[in-house]
Amino acid sequence: MNIHTYEKVWIVASMVLIVGFIATITYGAVGPGIAMIDDDGGDINPDEINDDERFAEPGVEHVGGNEYEVTVVAQAWSYTPSEIEIPANSEVTFYVTSRDVTHSFSVVGTNVNTMVVPGQVSEMTAKFDEPDEYGILCNEYCGEYHHTMEGKLNVVPEDEFDLTELSVEADDEIDAGNETTITANVTNGMQEDLETTVSLEIGNQTQEEDVTVPGDGSEEVAFTVDSADLDEGDNDWTVTVDDYEESGTLSVVTPEGNESADGGDGDA
Amino acid sequence: MRNAYLDQFPDEARVIKAAFWSSFIALAIGGVLGLVQALHRTDVFRFIQSPDYYTVLTAHGVLLVIVFTIFFLVGTFTWAVTTSLDRGVVDTRFTWAWYIMMVIGAALAGITIFSGFLESAPSILGSELNADVLFTFYAPLEAHPFFYIGLVVFVVGSWLAGVDWFRTWLAWRRENPDERIPLPTFMVLTTTLFWYICTLGVSLSILVFLLPWSLGITESVNPLLTRTMFWYFGHAVVYFWLMPAYLMWYTMLPKFSGGKLFSDPLARVVFVLFLLLSTPLGIHHQYLDPGIAEGYKFIAMTNTMFLLLPSLLTAFTVVASMEHGARQRGGEGYLGWLKALPWRDPIFTGMALAGLMFAAAGFSGMINAGMNINYLVHNTWWVVGHFHLTVGTAVALTFMAASYWFIPQLTGKELWNRSVALGQVVLWFIGMTFMTNAMHRSGLFGLPRRTAEPQYQGFDFEPAVGTVGEINMQVALGAVILTLSLALFLLNMVMTSIGSNSESIPDNTYADTLSGAEDSPRILDNLKLWTAIAVVLVIIAYTLPLASIIDAGGLFGPDIEGFRLSTWVDPAVIESLSEVIR
Ligand code: HEM
Ligand SMILES: [Cu+2]
Ligand SMILES: [Cu+2]
Repeated sequence: MNIHTYEKVWIVASMVLIVGFIATITYGAVGPGIAMIDDDGGDINPDEINDDERFAEPGVEHVGGNEYEVTVVAQAWSYTPSEIEIPANSEVTFYVTSRDVTHSFSVVGTNVNTMVVPGQVSEMTAKFDEPDEYGILCNEYCGEYHHTMEGKLNVVPEDEFDLTELSVEADDEIDAGNETTITANVTNGMQEDLETTVSLEIGNQTQEEDVTVPGDGSEEVAFTVDSADLDEGDNDWTVTVDDYEESGTLSVVTPEGNESADGGDGDA
Repeated sequence: MRNAYLDQFPDEARVIKAAFWSSFIALAIGGVLGLVQALHRTDVFRFIQSPDYYTVLTAHGVLLVIVFTIFFLVGTFTWAVTTSLDRGVVDTRFTWAWYIMMVIGAALAGITIFSGFLESAPSILGSELNADVLFTFYAPLEAHPFFYIGLVVFVVGSWLAGVDWFRTWLAWRRENPDERIPLPTFMVLTTTLFWYICTLGVSLSILVFLLPWSLGITESVNPLLTRTMFWYFGHAVVYFWLMPAYLMWYTMLPKFSGGKLFSDPLARVVFVLFLLLSTPLGIHHQYLDPGIAEGYKFIAMTNTMFLLLPSLLTAFTVVASMEHGARQRGGEGYLGWLKALPWRDPIFTGMALAGLMFAAAGFSGMINAGMNINYLVHNTWWVVGHFHLTVGTAVALTFMAASYWFIPQLTGKELWNRSVALGQVVLWFIGMTFMTNAMHRSGLFGLPRRTAEPQYQGFDFEPAVGTVGEINMQVALGAVILTLSLALFLLNMVMTSIGSNSESIPDNTYADTLSGAEDSPRILDNLKLWTAIAVVLVIIAYTLPLASIIDAGGLFGPDIEGFRLSTWVDPAVIESLSEVIR
């Protein structure tokens, strides 16, 4: 075959260019270890998401050290959870799946960008060094209101981050003269122990108790409340642990038939 | 004696003219919808409801990249085969048959899409007539069965067109047993072969999975499987659109430059490479898909990079041929020859500008192809910028420029106004420069594609340079210029067609070569060999990924029913959502 000299030079240069590209990209992908989306996430039946170990309660989990797992369920046209908070200096592995159609999970301005295909779990790992706020959006058409599908990813300073949860159990009513218990349940999602103080404010009293909540565990704190210390009628209470608080109302009532037993105010 | 195409092949000329007009109609409607999109997204002017945006976008995609491009292609290829073999097709009734079949398919799909605008679309075959699924129709988004049927009928029509070209070539070979395949016919045949290979994927996906599922015969689909079968076709179709433009660049542009094609053998090599490599790289559209192992993505990436070779070779040959032409016209100097090119000729200038934009597209394409950089730009407006340079300009502008040559050839009438034509191609170039530059830039800060209102409540986009507002204005301005250019093009086509006969139409010829077919080994013409290798490459690239997808999700997926967009949403949800939006 008769090839002009310039053509030969051009062909050789083109091949060098192509092989160069492949080499750079291979180095870029394999070298510094930019993780690609692949089949590691496995598959899942979209109808069984609610029973799935990982996706039943989507959200942030601490794996240990600076490693976290974030599970997200996408559906038309929102993410669950829609706001994600993680600490700076963390390495986060996202697991995302879809309940209905194909979506994307794209953290704006980062390489965290994946298709979310029903039946599949997308798994990807990324590092977040600095505190920042990122938008999350769906960039794959998923129906009429696709453009409203968004979320937030907040990277907060390490010392402001925890995975503490507080829930409180308390009666609504108490008979005058009796005692009741307000129980605070503190869960610690981090793998390390959490040392903190739980406090209860009710009426004009405050009770406090120091607790150590074990890593990935929970601790109950029971506060005993005596109606004698309270006013008749509604008493607001607040349980606080670190930045979390929960409030409610406890009513002190006079049991029926006992009326005027110890002399009410007469306005009953 | 006038010797235009019309005089040589009057019957074929009529079919080709019909195919071109079908493509112009699709271009006209699709282009106007493009303007609607550009103004809506940028919030310059919104007059449709945002949910209807996706009906518009589906129509824009299907009309432009399926209907416009492929109708133009079949017209061009029929012209190329008959002109270069110097014989008519075997039977024009067959030619009309496939053309009409394609029209029926396109109309069926088109009506189904446009029915999506109706307040209450008619119910046919038990479901509402609409197809708001975009041109990629990813399951479990579900369209009305007519949409899928229309697409298949259209594709089968194009298969029959391929049969027509092969048949004509075989007839010619019987008459000319020892001759080399003329270059334009060689290009048509190799392109048709990879079209058969790649459309097999999407046709099977529709016939086995999507159509039965939308008819309610099967219950479920495997979304990753149908998606992968779409992209098995989806990249090769890109080259299918491009090949008629390449054909024009190789066989006509040298002539319009005033010279000859630099090398026939190298042109054959280029088309053989496209036959071999067009299909086994579709997975590069799925770099971000779960359920596909990294190794398969890597193979696709490598193949993609090697497919740069034929395009780089084309760049060389085209520029070298232009330089040859310029020097024949008295051009001199190192770059001074550029001035000697016929820049006042809209056909030449249109094609040259299209080629220039294609070079720019090559750069953004290399970014897309990089597996890792792709994460930054995937599904952003960067990608939309990229393909408005490729199919939206390299292909579309070449087609428009070529029409200035074809329509006089097919009608025997002189082009209505050459200055308007020249202005038109330059305006397209300017409009696309504004629009695609802004689109590329916005992709870099994450602006998503396919989104009616890319303005979010919880966050703002932060361009590294410039502002979102300024970028939006460039998109809107570019879109307006493009629409103006499109209107001028159509005006010229209409006025030419209703004009009067002219005796001064140039002869229907294509470019001579400096280095002809006799310089190339005969093995290049062995289509069976190349097809066999192409099939083997496809099997290597796709067997394992498909097997693992089917292994994980089953052929029909884990009970995944369809989502008909206009019917499945609870009205209360829409109500509450639109509250939020307002
Ligand atoms: C008047 C000229 C045109 C204008 C103003 C225009 C405008 C647009 C805009 C703004 C989008 C983005 C939609 C989005 O991402 O939300 C778009 C998408 C698109 N355009 Fe164009 N366009 C024009 C011509 C063309 C041509 C000639 C072609 C191809 C031959 C084309 C092919 C496409 C395709 C394939 C898409 C993507 C559809 C999808 O995402 O499903 N456009 N166009
Ligand atoms: Cu979406
Ligand atoms: Cu591609």
